[in-house]
Amino acid sequence: MALFTRTTKNVILKIDEFFDTVDLGLLVFREGIKAYLHRDMDAFERHIQKIESLESTADMLQRSIENEMITHSILPQHRVEVSSLIDQMDEIIDSIKASLNEFGIEMPEIPASLNNSFIGLAEASASAAEELIPAARAYFRAPHTVREKLLKVYYYESETDTISRNTKRIIFQGMKELELAKKAHLRYIMQNIEKISDRAQKAADLLSAMAIKIIM
Amino acid sequence: MILLFLTSGLFLGWSLGANDASNVFGAAVGSRMVSFRMAAIIASVFVILGAVLQGSGTSATLGRLGAVNALGGSFTVALAAAITVYLMTKVALPVSTTQAIVGAIIGWNIFTGNPTDGKVLSQILTTWVAGPVLGAAFAIILYILLKRIKKSSRMHLVVFESYIKAGLIVAGAFGAYSLGANNIANVMGVFIPAFNLHDLNLGFITLSSSQQLFLLGGLAIAAGILTYSRRVIETVGSNIMELSSEAAMVTVLSHALVLFIFSSSWLSSVFVKIGLPAIPMVPVSASQVIIGSVIGIGLYKSVRNINFRILGEIAAGWVATPLFSGLLAFLSLFFVKNIFGIEVGSRIIAADPLEPGTTPFPSPDPNLSGILHYLILGLIVTGASAVVFYYLLDRRKRTGFRKSEERFWKYIK
Repeated sequence: MALFTRTTKNVILKIDEFFDTVDLGLLVFREGIKAYLHRDMDAFERHIQKIESLESTADMLQRSIENEMITHSILPQHRVEVSSLIDQMDEIIDSIKASLNEFGIEMPEIPASLNNSFIGLAEASASAAEELIPAARAYFRAPHTVREKLLKVYYYESETDTISRNTKRIIFQGMKELELAKKAHLRYIMQNIEKISDRAQKAADLLSAMAIKIIM
Repeated sequence: MILLFLTSGLFLGWSLGANDASNVFGAAVGSRMVSFRMAAIIASVFVILGAVLQGSGTSATLGRLGAVNALGGSFTVALAAAITVYLMTKVALPVSTTQAIVGAIIGWNIFTGNPTDGKVLSQILTTWVAGPVLGAAFAIILYILLKRIKKSSRMHLVVFESYIKAGLIVAGAFGAYSLGANNIANVMGVFIPAFNLHDLNLGFITLSSSQQLFLLGGLAIAAGILTYSRRVIETVGSNIMELSSEAAMVTVLSHALVLFIFSSSWLSSVFVKIGLPAIPMVPVSASQVIIGSVIGIGLYKSVRNINFRILGEIAAGWVATPLFSGLLAFLSLFFVKNIFGIEVGSRIIAADPLEPGTTPFPSPDPNLSGILHYLILGLIVTGASAVVFYYLLDRRKRTGFRKSEERFWKYIK
């Protein structure tokens, strides 16, 4: 039995640490994108290394939490949902790593006029995921407040879509001098940034259902 | 021969354990908060304690309903009830042992031409109604209270669930104790007058004659829990309604409270002292109480949460149990008396079977006490060894798993 034992406390600490890791990953993502757009490649490389390490930590924490929940019979009724939530949040940090790596490997040529649009897109997408974290924390302590916190996730996800749509319109309709291959490349890079908010929304849907189940 | 007659009571005890453990730990196991093994061990230990320490109150009430005044009658009545419970359990219905034994005693009354005490019967029937109603009321109150505590404390879900798990184990132990105290009368009540055993000194406690019988009955119940209760536990735990962990705890606790109320002479005397009417010491149907508790929570949440088809099947079992048991007792008594020529009882109604010196039964063999003492000690030692063995085995398994996990993570790092 996991009552008052080190295991119970460990699981709580690990869940909090996992959320911290995702939160930190989002900060790194923002700074990484800014560094790339400002051509500060040293800082960008540092951020890539940081996100690699954070992603690895998140994976280890995820496995450890799931194992401890199973072996010590912690949260038997909510274990599947909590594992799914953690898995979906892990996908967010996976997307961050994938997106930053794409920048690092493919080195997309982003016109300076689009810098603000890309920063705005990254900000909105990261904000959607950032707003998910307090909601996920609230699930464990105050499930009644989860839904109101999730509103911001949906707002920023919609904001990300709007910025992305407008930027794509500018790229494909306003930049006649840009080659089609470069346009397609930029679209591809933007889609990967959007993935972060899409995954946050998917996790928010799950969290919302989990909160209802626990309140009822 | 006397010990052979006792086997039907032990069989009934085994059936009670197989069936009624579901009332104590069904919700906990169904909600996956407590493993079946842990539930079975805790239930077994506490049901024996309840039977031995607090089992005499309800036995007197059953004795007043029908004082079975021949050992052959006791054997047949208990056997009829046991077969009824076994058959109902076989089809996975949470049947009530109380109803089975009451039906069988009334069958004996009819067969021997003894009148059934209407007052006692109505008292028992009233508790059959009051039990589930009280269970539902307790469940609603406790559930609302728990929900409020959870909301206001802002406790981490993992910690809260740990408390609930501990609560389920404590409530389950209390429920098993109350079950033993309340329902041991169904198992051993009809045999008490036939046995006048010497006191058994176990070192830390001295057991009277009836307590030794209760201990044997309790061991039979424990055997039923350990060997055959899994199927019914799963029926109660998950089929009536999908239970959350806190609902599971509330269900077990309210069930335990109701059973305790109807078997605690101490509580009854407290009621009398403060000017309230005494609580009748009646064996309550544990199945009905637990279902009442589940319904209470279902009603509080939403009526749609309840699987009415399963409830209907269980209600059918309630009607069928006493009828089937009574009919079986009647027919069995006929065969035992006319074919085997064994005395099953007469029209003469004895006084309260628990009062010493009033029993019409012959004195038992003087060696019987010795045989029973060795039997009881042997069973206690075997049971305790089995529990220790299981605990060590489980601990070894867990340690092995933890070490394997640690090796894996060390390798990954």
